[in-house]
Amino acid sequence: MLQNFSYQAPETLKDLYALLKKSNGKATILAGGTDLLVNMHNNWISPESLIDIKKIPDLKGITFNPKTGLSIGATTVCIDLINNKDVKKHYPLLAEAAHNIGSPQLRNRATIAGNLCTASPCADMGCSLLALGASVELGSADGVRVIPLKDFFTGPKKTQIKKHEVLLRIVVPAEMAGAKFGMRKLKRIKGHDIAVASVAMARTAKVMRIGVGSAAPTPVVTADLAASTTLEKAVAAAEKVICPIDDVRAGAEYRRFMVKEFVGQIYPELF
Amino acid sequence: MKITLTVNGKKYQRDASETKNLLHFLREDLGLTGTKEGCGAGECGACTVIMNGKTVNSCLILAVEANGADIMTIEGEAKNGKLSKLQVAFKKNHAVQCGFCTPGMIMSTRALLENNPKPTVEQIKQAIEGNFCRCTGYQQIIEAVQDASGQLKKKEGLKRA
Repeated sequence: MLQNFSYQAPETLKDLYALLKKSNGKATILAGGTDLLVNMHNNWISPESLIDIKKIPDLKGITFNPKTGLSIGATTVCIDLINNKDVKKHYPLLAEAAHNIGSPQLRNRATIAGNLCTASPCADMGCSLLALGASVELGSADGVRVIPLKDFFTGPKKTQIKKHEVLLRIVVPAEMAGAKFGMRKLKRIKGHDIAVASVAMARTAKVMRIGVGSAAPTPVVTADLAASTTLEKAVAAAEKVICPIDDVRAGAEYRRFMVKEFVGQIYPELF
Repeated sequence: MKITLTVNGKKYQRDASETKNLLHFLREDLGLTGTKEGCGAGECGACTVIMNGKTVNSCLILAVEANGADIMTIEGEAKNGKLSKLQVAFKKNHAVQCGFCTPGMIMSTRALLENNPKPTVEQIKQAIEGNFCRCTGYQQIIEAVQDASGQLKKKEGLKRA
């Protein structure tokens, strides 16, 4: 039995916005629940009410449009991304990143948007979506605003989402479709484990980006680098955006070393 | 909140507490105690059930979220008192030690076999990635799944029933 809370499952965005406004920051959004319910189970948080968003049709599904790119609805779970034909064809990096999350049971339930909203420094989807230059659409009764993912994370477990807002969808730009890519995730074991350090890189004819996880207070990304950036400059760019710490999983020095090592490993895969 | 769900082909209608997870609902409200609680935090997989065709950790789902769902638990394996082929394979290959992880292991491997009747060893390992066996009898579990899918080669020196 968890702490006391009320449960509501609105069926339209309008109802959701009204509930969020009424709760004035006291409600927590429930999507996959694979992080939220763990936090509640451990008594780390005790929300007054949960708003389940899984019944809202507007938040479902993955769509691809060659002009506007890929749209990932807020309630899309990892396994849907992994199995999606458009994702496999145009953005295989995302399928690989989603496959690296948790266990099959978690991938069947955990949402991509939830992985971002949890805003863990090691968020598995964070570095790959950052490398692809994704943005997020936030909605509330006051309207919709779009912000680049690189500005979304503000600190460990902190994001730009305001108390009346909900993440509606993640958008990956069309120009990144078919980008060359590579990713590495350092874990203690091959299976279900948290990243000690992770790197995702994407490169098109115009741009190269490096997303890094578990090496700064949030997932981070380099500035847009030229597609012809040399390996030395790519490594330097990655080193510039990270500021790893020592913790139970690894030392800062080891993390820094592995980020550079991974950039070196992935770099040849981008050409 | 009043919820209706199908568990192992049987329809149930109950008044479920909003603060109860699906695992406790199955065990306490429906009396289906085959599904176990290990960590309660989505790490160990002892509480694995199949919900709408996909394996999930029932400790991380509220009972009210399962409203309208089709669920299969370990109690759905045996029919008329007879063990399923998968259960027989677990028994025959010594894949059950203390037995606490077994219901979850069977649910994960059941879901695997439904989608992939002839899984490779690597695919079996991936399917049970989210299920911990603290007796560490993973090898026997993998062999049981190979056996259930008709892929186990006879091994020298191990007498089989």
